[in-house]
Amino acid sequence: MKANLNWRRDHRLWIEIFVLLNLAGLAPDIYLAHSTNSFRHPAEYAPLIFSLAAPIALWLALAFLKMERPAWWRILGHAVGWMAVAVGVAGLILHLESQFFQERTLASLVYSAPFAAPLAYTGLGLLLIMNRMVPPESMEWPLWVLLLALGGFAGNFVFSLTDHAENGFFHRTEWIPVVSSAFAVGFLAAPLIMRIGRAYLLVCASVMAVQAAAGVLGFYFHLAANIRASGASLFDKLVHGAPVLAPLLFPDLVLLAFIGLWILHQHAPAPAEPTQAHSAHAPAPTP
Amino acid sequence: MGFRSVFIAVVIATALIVAAFLINSHRPRAESEKSSAALVLASGKCAECHRNLQYSVVHEYELSAHAQKQINCLECHQVAPGQKGKDHNGFVINTAVTAANCRTCHEQIYQQFLHSRHAAPAWAAVAGEKAFTPEQAAFSEGFQPGGVKRAPNPLTALEGNSAFQSGCASCHSVGKPNTDGTIGACTACHTRHTSSVEIARLPTTCGQCHMGPDHSQLEIYTESKHGVLFEAQRDKLNLAAKPAQLTTRDMFVPTCATCHMSGLNGAAVTHDPSERLSYFLFAETSAKRPNYASSRAEMKSICLKCHAEQVVEKVYQNAEAVVASTNEKISAVKSVMDGLRKDGVLSGKPFEQPIDFEYFDLWHYDGRAAKHGAFMGGADFVQWHGNYPMLKHSVEIKKAAEELRKVHESKP
Repeated sequence: MKANLNWRRDHRLWIEIFVLLNLAGLAPDIYLAHSTNSFRHPAEYAPLIFSLAAPIALWLALAFLKMERPAWWRILGHAVGWMAVAVGVAGLILHLESQFFQERTLASLVYSAPFAAPLAYTGLGLLLIMNRMVPPESMEWPLWVLLLALGGFAGNFVFSLTDHAENGFFHRTEWIPVVSSAFAVGFLAAPLIMRIGRAYLLVCASVMAVQAAAGVLGFYFHLAANIRASGASLFDKLVHGAPVLAPLLFPDLVLLAFIGLWILHQHAPAPAEPTQAHSAHAPAPTP
Repeated sequence: MGFRSVFIAVVIATALIVAAFLINSHRPRAESEKSSAALVLASGKCAECHRNLQYSVVHEYELSAHAQKQINCLECHQVAPGQKGKDHNGFVINTAVTAANCRTCHEQIYQQFLHSRHAAPAWAAVAGEKAFTPEQAAFSEGFQPGGVKRAPNPLTALEGNSAFQSGCASCHSVGKPNTDGTIGACTACHTRHTSSVEIARLPTTCGQCHMGPDHSQLEIYTESKHGVLFEAQRDKLNLAAKPAQLTTRDMFVPTCATCHMSGLNGAAVTHDPSERLSYFLFAETSAKRPNYASSRAEMKSICLKCHAEQVVEKVYQNAEAVVASTNEKISAVKSVMDGLRKDGVLSGKPFEQPIDFEYFDLWHYDGRAAKHGAFMGGADFVQWHGNYPMLKHSVEIKKAAEELRKVHESKP
C-alpha cells in the first residue's frame, strides 16, 4: 500500500474501518449483554476487554500502513483477526454450555445465552484475515465480503427467530426481521452460486436498503418497549429488556454488503449495448 | 438481469421463512400462548438463570401439576393486590408468594382455610389478638370462637424471641397475617414449588407440626392400623388423585388428609381441617364444638366409606368415654390448682412454680395424648403416654399442693 492512504478508492481500508468501528461498537453491546447476569463468569470480561483493545491495535496497524510499514499492518491485522476468531468460537461454546450440552432441544437453544452472537467476532476476524490474504483487485475479494455479510444475515435470521421465540412472537411485528433477513440471505447467496449481472446487484442493493430500514424500525420498537417497561432504572430496562442495539446489526451488515456489491459491480459484466437491429429507439444510420 | 439469480434468491429466502414457521409451530403452547408478553417470556426465561442458581426449585416446579397445566413462574409470582412489586431482571415480581397469590385461582379453598383453626387462631395462639386487624379477628371468631380473641401463650414471652422465631413461629405461621391483608401460607402444607396435593396428603406433611408430646398425632397415626397399612401399601395408593374425584379405590388406606379434609367417594372437600371434628380436644377440658352433631356425622360418614357402622359407633363410644374421663381427671386437678390460686398459695405469673409445669404437662401433654389416641386408634397413647402419666402427675400435683399449703400456712 502507498504512504498516502487513499480512503476514497482503496476498498481494503473500508473493510479495516468497518471492522475497527464494529469491534469498538461491540464493547457497549457486550457490556449490556453480559450485565444481564452481572458478569458472573470471569470469562465474560474477555470479549469486553478485547473489544476495547482491538480497535486500538487496528488503529495502530493503519498508522503503520501510513508509515509505509505494510508488514506490521499485516502482522497486527492477523493477530487481531485470529484473536477475534478465537474469541468468537470460545464464546459460542461457552454460550451453549449453559443449556445445550445438558439437553439438546429447541428450548435449550431459545433460552440459552444467544449462542450465535459471539460469532460476530469470528466474522470480523475473518474479514481482517481475508483482507490480508486475498488480492483486493481480484473478483474473489468482493465475493468473500458478500459471503461474510451473508453469514451475518444468517446470524440475524437465527437471532431474530430464537430471541423473538422467547416471548412467543407476541407482537406480529417480531416476524419482520425473520422474513427480512431470510431475503437478505437469499439475495446475497445468489452471487456466490452463479455469475450475476449489474442489474441483479442493483436489486440486491435495494433488498439491502430494506434490511437497513427493518433494522432501524427494530431499534425503535426495542427502545420504545424498554422505555415503556417497568424497571428500577433506564439502565436496568436496557439490560433486561429487548436488546436495543441488536437490530442495528441489520444496517451495519448492509454497509458491509454494500462494499461487496460495489466492488463486485466493477467486476460484473455491463449490460449488453442494444444493437441497432434490436433497438427500437436507435437513430437511423448516417451514410 | 438473469431470472435464474432472482429465482435462487427467492427460493432460499422462502425456504428459510417456511423453516422458521415450522420450527416455531412445534414449540410447546406453554411457551407461546399466554395473555401477556411478560407471561410468555417467563415460561422459559426464569429457568434460564434459576436452573443454574437453584436447580431444585426449577426441577420441583417441573414435577408439579402447575407445570403440567402450563402455569408458569410469573403467574404465581405476580404482584397480587396489596403486594409490593420488585424489579427483577426485566420482570416485576413478588418474591414472597402468599395466600393472596394462591387465591387468585383458588379462592374457594382460601375461604375454607380462613374458617379453620389453621388460619388466624394458629397465629393468635402464639401472637395474640393484636397481630390481627379487628376485621380479621371478628371474621375468625365467627367460626372459631375464642380462637383469636385471646392472649398469646405465656411461654412465648418466657422462652424469648429466638425460641419463638425458630420454634413456635415455624408451625404457627401457617395462620400468620400477611402484609397484603391475607392470612396464612398455603405452602406450609403444599410446599412451595411442587404445589403438591400428593405431598399435602402425606402423614409426614401434617406431622411437621402435629407431632411431639403436645400433639402426638403423627406418632399416634404411625402406631395405628391406618399408619401400619400406609407404611406397607403406600406404593399402591394414588396419592396424587384429583381431590374432586378421590375415591377409596385411590386411598384404600387413609392418611390424615383423607379423613379430615378429602372429598372421598363424592363427599365435599374441605380446607377447614376442624370441620369434621366434634370436640375441642386440644383444650384443658374438652367441650363439644358448637357444630358437634353435624361434624360428628360428617366424620362418621367418612369412616363408613371403609368401616362397618358397628365399628365406627364403637370407636366413637370408646373415644368419647376417654374424653369424658380425661375431663374428669383434669378437672379434679384443676380444682386443686384453682384452690391454690384462690387461697393465695400460688401467686404471680404462670410458669413461676414447678407445680405450674406439672399441671401444664398434665393437660397439655398427657390429657391430649389420651384423647387423640382414643380417636385415632393409638392404644399406647391412651395408656402409657396418656392415662399413666396423667395419674402420676395428678398424684404429684396433689402432694405438691399439700406441701405448698403447709409452707403457706406456716408463714407468719
